[in-house]
Formats: sequence, structure tokens, C-alpha cells
Amino acid sequence: MSRHALSVLVENNPGVLARVSVLFARRSFNIDHLVVGPTEDPKVSRMTIVINVDSEQLHKVTSQLDKLIEVIHIEELDDATAIREKLWVINDNGPRPVGAMANSWA
Amino acid sequence: MSTATSTATSAPTSPAPLTGAETLVETLKRVGVEHIFGLPGGCILPLYDALYETPGLRHILVRHEQGAGHAAQGYAAATGKVGVCMATSGPGATNLVTPLADANMDSIPIVAITANVPSAAMGSDAFQEADIRSITMPVTKHSFLVTDPNQIEATIASAFHLAASGRPGPVLVDVSKDALTALVTGDAPLQLALPGYHPRTTAAPEAVSDAVDLMLKAQRPVLYVGGGTVRSGAHQEVLEFAEITGIPVVTTLMARGAFPDSHPQHMGMPGMHGTVTAVAALQRSDLIISLGARFDDRVTGARDSFAPHAQVIHADIDPAEIGKNRVTAVGLVGDAKETIRQLVNEFAARKAAGETYDYSDFVERCNIMRERYPLGFDEPEDGSLSPQYVIQRLGEIVGSEAIYTSGVGQHQMWASQFIKYEQPNKWINSGGLGTMGYAVPAAMGAKVACPDDVVWAVDGDGCFQMTNQELATCAVEGIPIKVAIINNAALGMVRQWQTLFYSERYSSSQLPSMQVPDFVTLAEAYGCVGLRCDNPEDVDATIARAMEINDRPVVVDFRVHQDAMVWPMVPAGTSNDAIQYARDLAPNFGDDE
Repeated sequence: MSRHALSVLVENNPGVLARVSVLFARRSFNIDHLVVGPTEDPKVSRMTIVINVDSEQLHKVTSQLDKLIEVIHIEELDDATAIREKLWVINDNGPRPVGAMANSWA
Repeated sequence: MSTATSTATSAPTSPAPLTGAETLVETLKRVGVEHIFGLPGGCILPLYDALYETPGLRHILVRHEQGAGHAAQGYAAATGKVGVCMATSGPGATNLVTPLADANMDSIPIVAITANVPSAAMGSDAFQEADIRSITMPVTKHSFLVTDPNQIEATIASAFHLAASGRPGPVLVDVSKDALTALVTGDAPLQLALPGYHPRTTAAPEAVSDAVDLMLKAQRPVLYVGGGTVRSGAHQEVLEFAEITGIPVVTTLMARGAFPDSHPQHMGMPGMHGTVTAVAALQRSDLIISLGARFDDRVTGARDSFAPHAQVIHADIDPAEIGKNRVTAVGLVGDAKETIRQLVNEFAARKAAGETYDYSDFVERCNIMRERYPLGFDEPEDGSLSPQYVIQRLGEIVGSEAIYTSGVGQHQMWASQFIKYEQPNKWINSGGLGTMGYAVPAAMGAKVACPDDVVWAVDGDGCFQMTNQELATCAVEGIPIKVAIINNAALGMVRQWQTLFYSERYSSSQLPSMQVPDFVTLAEAYGCVGLRCDNPEDVDATIARAMEINDRPVVVDFRVHQDAMVWPMVPAGTSNDAIQYARDLAPNFGDDE
């Protein structure tokens, strides 16, 4: 088991977050962190999902995610990419850059 | 203003704007819908008003929305066309959940159209409000909520595209009442963009070549044929692939008829109640070539001991199926018909190039097993009617041209075992979800789709009582289905498990179906012909009598022996190696010979 960060582009439709989280719940995958934000295209949102799974489970969850009609693209972020993207993660301590979180994975 | 060629007598005017409901009806016609199964209610009234006396669209008024959903499934399963069901908000919509989940498990293309409360009332717990879009998220291919009349046409058209393409499945479109009544203004799109939906239909050529490499090296390969081949219309390709390779074939519960039962390479159905030969062939194989199947637990038994020496070639249109339940050596993502065609071509080319293979020992062993362990049953010692005999005679007398639907349980397994299927789309049952009550409404849908075919619902006395209200629909709408109730006065499969695994403690599995209800008078109350048969000598004549009646539905109450059990059987959760041919009788797989 290890942490993986997925960058998921989805159609910016009402209910899409519910659809993604229902999928994770139904297939018994636990979400560690989840951030949803806009992209430069108002029709598209980006979800950054951090999950703690082994590689076989990672393959299963991405192929199930990919089946969702409103999921446009899935990419696994390595730590460096995640830092470069300068996404913000909301946690109990308020916002901090995803890089800090990525460093804490080790 | 006017040109010289204009013949118009009045000034050209743009057509009157349509309401959302009228647009919805026009879109249904545009995508080729001819039949709708449904039941109206408050919120969907505007749509029913637009449907009223619409030429070319026949609405069949069901007695319960679940019946509409299963009828749409039966319609789709018999033809491959998208089945359509309709219901109002709240309870109407929630009654469609079971058929939607059923269609999702068995990859049946249906579109469900529901109306919801006006968008301003949504979220206020209004009368008959249910968030059916969210409720159906995990049990549909996709679900839409439309509150803008301008989005109705595009959403309905896209729903039909999604249902029928890729891996088929159910799609729900929920439309708010105000979107149905409002006028469509201006530039409504014809189709949604669906930027994330790109089903792949052609397998990668390298993967096809890798698959054939494995096939040529194998000594004990099996073609594991699943329901995807039926949905794809790939039966001809399956036949060619089997014949060019000579590989033994097993057909799953969902694929009965995808490969002819009479074919010498057919080893039967695998799984919990499959033939000994099909189960043994998979267990002993060194290469499973899975074609539109999904390694369901009812096929594999305990997964860690399923086919322990087999590598797997897995062909499926759904990439998420590959590797889901079983590690795969080669994955082929594509439509079954195209993919099998690719495999046939590659195999033929390699064969022509002089590459060799030898499956003869394995084929011979399979053939010996099939001789040794045919499907069979014991006649009850007291001379009463055996359910297997009834079903076997039904198949023999009615023939393999007819459509058979079933509910879920013992009668379903016997109908899959003792009726011989030669063609696809003739065996329609609830495989994945296992929905009791499927048979009667599914038969209704199949009969509407194929009015010239004989349609028999093989049902249990338990299942029949869940959905038999649709007999009223059949009688009133002129849908003359035939129903064979295999009446053993019990929830038979539950009882069988209680006999085998719960020390014959028959907790809540007995039904007084020989007394209440009286199925013959019940049938007559519904405007059907009711017949009864409780004697082996009368079976043929009763079936013949039922076959003569074509102006009304017929219900036959076959009163059968209660203790008959479905064999062979792999007890749930155990290894397929533990298959019993009959009670306490383990087959000899011939490993010591």
C-alpha cells in the first residue's frame, strides 16, 4: 500500500462529486484527501484525489473511474508534478501547498 | 421578400415552439423508439399529454413500474434495440430501481425516463419527490437530471447513444416538471458533447497476436463464452472461432444460445449449477479464452482455487473488467464481434503459415467427461411430476425458435439446463442481479418486440407472485405470452440450500401455492386462460393445449414434486473441484486414469 495522487478532469456538472465518491465507497476505496477546483475551461473541473492503495487496486480504481461518463481524463501525479501544480489542500490547519503534503508521505 | 420560385401562399413562419414534453416525444421518434412501457403520475402528466395519440409510438400501460422496467429489458434482450420505460416522480421512479440495477448487471440497453417535481420545489421534500438521479448513480451506466427544456433533446439523444454503445447498459433521464411544460427556445443542441466517453471497439493488433501466441502454445484451452457475445451479436464469430481452433466451448448463464447446444464442441454451462464437463474443463485448462464474460463468482466458485493452472486471455469491451476478478495474461479491449473476428483472422493466418498446435488429448478427455456426466435427473419415486421433466418437455415440444424467459431460482437453473438453445437472444433471464419476478414482465417485453415468436415465461410459484399483475397488461394490450409456473409450493432454491446446508430447517421457505392463490382462477380473473397439470402423462397435452391459444395469455400451473434439487452443484464459497454431480456424489475428473 502506498499513497497515490490522481489528477482527474471531470465535466463541471452538478452531482459529479457525488458520482465519484459513490464509486469510491461502493468499491471500498478510502479517499485520504480530495480537492475539487475549477480549470481554465468553465466546463471542466479538476479533482485531485489522494488514495492509499496497492498498485493492483490503483489500476482497478482508475479503470472504474475512467468508466464514469463525466470523467474526461485521469493522470497519476508524481510528487514533483504535484508540487509544480501548486494545488492547495484544505486540512484542519487551513490551506497549505500540496508539496508539503507530498513531503509528508515518506 | 418572396422569390420568384416561392409557391407559398402565406408568409413563411417558423414552426410554433414546442414544449419540453413535445420535444421529448419528438426526440424519442427521432431515435427510433416504437414502444414504451410506463405508468403516469402527477409530475409526468405533461409528457403523457404530449404522448397522447402520437402516431408511431405505442405506449403500453403497465400495472407496476417494475413491470415496465423488466419489460423494457425483455424487449431489449430479445432484439438488441434499446428498451424504454417511463415513470413519474418519487415512488414511480424508485420502483424502476430494481430493473435498472438488473440491466446494469446484465449489460442490457434500456432508457428510463422519469419526471421530477418542478425545479423550484426540488430539495424541499415536496410531495412525491425523490432524488432518483442520485439514487440510481451506482446502478446505471449514467443518470441525468434535466431542468432546462433546451437540454431535453440533447440529453435524450445522448441517453440512447450511451445505452446502446460500448458496454450496453441502463441510462436514466429525470426531467423536472417545469422543464416539460416550458417552451424550448432557440438553439438547443442535438447531442451532448460527452468528452469523457470513447468506447474502444477494436482490440490492439499486438494484443491479438500475443493472444494467438498463447493459444498456439496451450494444450488445454477453453473458450469461455459470456453474455457480451450475445449483446454484440457475435454468435457467428464465436462459431467460426470455435471451429477453426477446435477448442472446447462453455457458455455461461448469460450466453446460453450464443453457441449451439447441439454443437459437438459444446461442453455446457460452467458454474455453480453448470455441467461437470464445463466445470472440469475450466478447472483443468491451461488457457482460458474469455469472450465477453466477467469471471463472476457463480462461475469461478472460490477464486483462489479456480482454474489454478490457467493463463487468461480476456476479451471485453469494458477495460475495467480486465483483471478485475482474475489476473490476465493478455487483455483485449474491444467489441466482441470485432475482437473475435480479429482472433479468427490471426489464428487462420498463423495456421496457414504452418504454425502447429495440439489440443487433441484435452478434447478427448472433455468428450469422455461429457459422455460420463450428462445432465440428468431422477424421477420422483411417488410418481408425481418432476419439474425437470416439465421443462425438458417444454423445450422439446416448443423448440429452439421460441423465446424463453425465467425468474430466479431452481426453475431458472433447470430452464438453463434442460431447454436446448441453438440461437442467441432466445434465453432471457436475470443473471447478475438475480431478480425474482423477472419472467412475466420480461416475457411481455419480448413478445411486444417479437410478436411473431412464441414467448414462454418459465416461472416459479414464488417469483410469479411478485410481478403477475402484468398479466392484466398482457390480456388488455393483446400480448399473448405463455407462462409455465413450476409450482413446488416453496421458494425452491432457498429450500434446497436449507436441505443441504441448514439441517432441513425450512425457515420461511414454504408457500401454500397449491391452495393460495389458485393460479388457474387467478389467471382467469386476469383475462387469461388458466390450465393445470400435476401428472406426467398430461404434460404433453397441456403444453399442446397452451400452444393452441394465441388470442390470450395462458398460464399453466404445473404442480411438481417439492424435493427436486438442482444438480450438479458447487456449494457456495467452495472450490469448483468440490462439484457434486448429485447429492454426495463427486464426479471422477479422470486425473488418475
